[in-house]
Amino acid sequence: MLFKVGGVSDPKQEEAETVKKSEISARLHRYYKGKIEVEPKCPVRSLDDFSIWYTPGVAGPSVEISENSDLSYEYTNRGNLIAIVSDGSRVLGLGKIGPQAALPVMEGKALLYKYLGGVDAYPIVLSTESAEDLVKTVIFLSPSFGGINLEDIEAPKCFTVLDRLRNQAPIPVWHDDQQGTATVIMAALKNALKLTSRSLKNSKIALIGAGAASVATARLLFLSGLPKESLIVCDSAGILHPERDDLDRLQLKNPWKYSLAIETNGERRKGGIREALVNTDVCISAAASGPGVIKPEWVAEMNRPSIIFALANPIPEIWPREAKSSGAAIVATGRSDFPNQVNNSLVFPAVFRGTLDVMARSITDEMCLAAADALADYAQVKGLSEDHILPTMDEWEVYTLEAAAVGSKAIAQGLARVNKTEQELREGAYEKILAARKKVELLMKEGLIAATPR
Amino acid sequence: MSRQEPVLRKAKESDAEQILELILRLKRLNEEFDPLYKVAEDAKEEGMKYVLEAIRSNDCLVAVAELGHKLVGVIKVDLRRRRFYEPKQDAHIVDLYVMPEFRLNGYGQKLIKFVIKEVRGRGGIVTVEFPSANKISTSFYEKLGFRPILNTYVLQPTWD
Repeated sequence: MLFKVGGVSDPKQEEAETVKKSEISARLHRYYKGKIEVEPKCPVRSLDDFSIWYTPGVAGPSVEISENSDLSYEYTNRGNLIAIVSDGSRVLGLGKIGPQAALPVMEGKALLYKYLGGVDAYPIVLSTESAEDLVKTVIFLSPSFGGINLEDIEAPKCFTVLDRLRNQAPIPVWHDDQQGTATVIMAALKNALKLTSRSLKNSKIALIGAGAASVATARLLFLSGLPKESLIVCDSAGILHPERDDLDRLQLKNPWKYSLAIETNGERRKGGIREALVNTDVCISAAASGPGVIKPEWVAEMNRPSIIFALANPIPEIWPREAKSSGAAIVATGRSDFPNQVNNSLVFPAVFRGTLDVMARSITDEMCLAAADALADYAQVKGLSEDHILPTMDEWEVYTLEAAAVGSKAIAQGLARVNKTEQELREGAYEKILAARKKVELLMKEGLIAATPR
Repeated sequence: MSRQEPVLRKAKESDAEQILELILRLKRLNEEFDPLYKVAEDAKEEGMKYVLEAIRSNDCLVAVAELGHKLVGVIKVDLRRRRFYEPKQDAHIVDLYVMPEFRLNGYGQKLIKFVIKEVRGRGGIVTVEFPSANKISTSFYEKLGFRPILNTYVLQPTWD
């Protein structure tokens, strides 16, 4: 078989490209002084209107809300506004760079939320690193927002924070590095299994890396029917199993990984990545930037036709070309210059679109799976192939389908405050996303968003 | 596997190697709680002597939880005499370890009950020591009805 694989695979050229993009980005960030701002959404016909939008008229909606706080979703922008909260403890592949340095990333996320999902998102970076403080702050912030997107918080702190907030916060809380990544992985996996005529229940899966994305992926895999003993998880110290030397420490420091060690790996495999891959059907790796983290000869020892998701950025754990020449039928990466980009941006704007549109109280794992199914189904309708297991960001109709699926699931689970049909949800999402895109287009046309300098 | 019932019995000399493995896991865990619990380089050799002496001694009681031919839990108790206080007898738990996957199955509690049965003739009290920072141990023993009785403080002088 011959495969066309894009991308730059020469490490030196790769590095040069990345440096170039960083330079352009710094220059443009300085030029535009950021990427989002606050704009009015009500008419101002004359200054008299301020007596309606502000005092004394504004007392009217305030009094009503004081009697029923849910009206804050109807009378203010709260119902379309989320906070992107980070402590800057694990930003991109850069690590702990602090809250201010995390701000450009959070603004970028806000831009994607608006443009792809029509969701207003505001970056809130915090000068604390304690899980306790993060939980408290989010709860204090909750009256202002319809939801919270936790971002770039290191593991295992992110697990503590998400688990506690999912129980305690009065608004939906989402940690994109966990749920967003896991959701798009589930969509890709569904189609990859279909293409190779496999069922999840009868598959054996190796999960390389045991960070935020992997822990959440394991949870969604189990919820979708993968037997726990059929999963093999491998972290930097090797395959997780119940007799590993560091298990006592994990019980104290990372109970999520500890549970995986106790519950997975029914055959009690030991060793490293190589041993984890032998006779497995699927390798999902969100581990360390490659290449060479996964060796082609290890892929050759998997069950054919094997499925490889090498999701590390900037460089996948193994180059797609190498994986394919070693027996992989389907390869996905985190990059847009290869086929099958496993990209969170396909998920988070739609999940919050759907969540906000039904005023859902939380975002459950079942809602994540509903989004994954919608994403996978869309790719199926467009025609599945080894190079097309996921839609791309420019097929933006898929966001409306995902949002409707998420909203409907929330309604079915009794978590929604409003009842809408799937069609109403889809149309509502379509209008909001279209409006967001049109506004940018209009502002660019009018020169209110300046043309990019040369 | 985790639902099987373990066999509880006193330790034999032929168990020494497996017991040492379990006790070394416990000592390595203690490293997490205080730098002064850093496991020594010769812990393996010293540990072997410690285990064999304890099995042979009349002043110690070592019991194990066995599944198949595998030891999955161990308890080592010093049988001490309280010279100044009553009651006079103290069965002092120095080491108690259960393999992670068998926790929450009551194996630790079973080992303690086994010891209590063994020392019934002596009467007295049962005490236990563990690092102050080990919150899992605190909650485990408090659930079984233990309460704090003695503080141990440490000072590392500069010696100049």
